[in-house]
Amino acid sequence: MGHVFFGVACLLATLWVFVETLNASAANWMRIRVASLAAAGFMWLAFALGGYFYVTAYAPDKTIILKGPWPFAHEFVMETKEHLVIMLLLLATYLPVTTAANLAANKDARRLVLWVAGLTAALAFTMEGEGGIIAMGVKMGLLHAK
Amino acid sequence: MNSNPETSGLSKSARAFGVALAVASVVNALLVVFKEKSPALQSAMKKLTGHHWITHVVVILALFLVSGWIFSRLNLRFTTGKLITTLVSGVALASAIILGFYLIAD
Repeated sequence: MGHVFFGVACLLATLWVFVETLNASAANWMRIRVASLAAAGFMWLAFALGGYFYVTAYAPDKTIILKGPWPFAHEFVMETKEHLVIMLLLLATYLPVTTAANLAANKDARRLVLWVAGLTAALAFTMEGEGGIIAMGVKMGLLHAK
Repeated sequence: MNSNPETSGLSKSARAFGVALAVASVVNALLVVFKEKSPALQSAMKKLTGHHWITHVVVILALFLVSGWIFSRLNLRFTTGKLITTLVSGVALASAIILGFYLIAD
C-alpha cells in the first residue's frame, strides 16, 4: 500500500504547487520549488513501489478479479492504469523543470506550471480512483468465490 | 532563462522537455496498441527485461530523456501557447487512445 500513500502525497504536493503558483511571488517561490520537487520524488517512489507490486504480486489478484463479477476491474481499469501512470510519471518529473523559472515575474512560466500541475493532479486523482476500483474488483471476486 | 519573445519567456529545457513529454505520451499509447495486437512484439518485450511492462516503461523513459535532450540542442522555437497546446494535446490524445483501445478495440 506504500504506492497509494506516495501517490496521494504526490497529488497533494501538486495541488500545493498549483495554488501557490496562482499567487506566485518572490516570497513563495522556494515553497513552489520544494513542493514540485517533492511531487516528483513522491511519484517516483509510488511508481517504483507500485511497479514492483504489479510485476511480482498482482497475478493472484488478477486471477481473482477475472473469475469474479467485476472482470472489467482488470480488463479495462488495470490495463489503462498501468499505461496512463507512465504519463503521470513523465508529468511529475517535468513539473520541477517548469518551476525553475522566476514565476513571480514570468507570466508564461506561470501558465505552463498551472497546466502541468493541473494535468498531473487530474491524472494522479484518476490513478487513485482506478486503484480503488481494482481493490473492489478483488473484494467482489473473493465474495463471489465464497 | 530565454527572454526572446519569439520563443516565449520559457527556458530551453522547459520547451524541449515539454515537447518530449507530448511525443513520449503519444508513443506510449501507440506502443500499447502495437504490443496488445502483436503477441510477437509483446513476447520480445518480455524477453528483454522479464516483463513487457518493464520494457515499455524503459522505452518511454528513454525516449522522453533522449528526445528532450535532442530538442534542447535544437533550441525549439515554441511560443508558450504553442507549447501548452502541444503538451495538452499530446497527453489528451494518448489518454484517448489508451482508454478507447481498451474500451472498444481490445
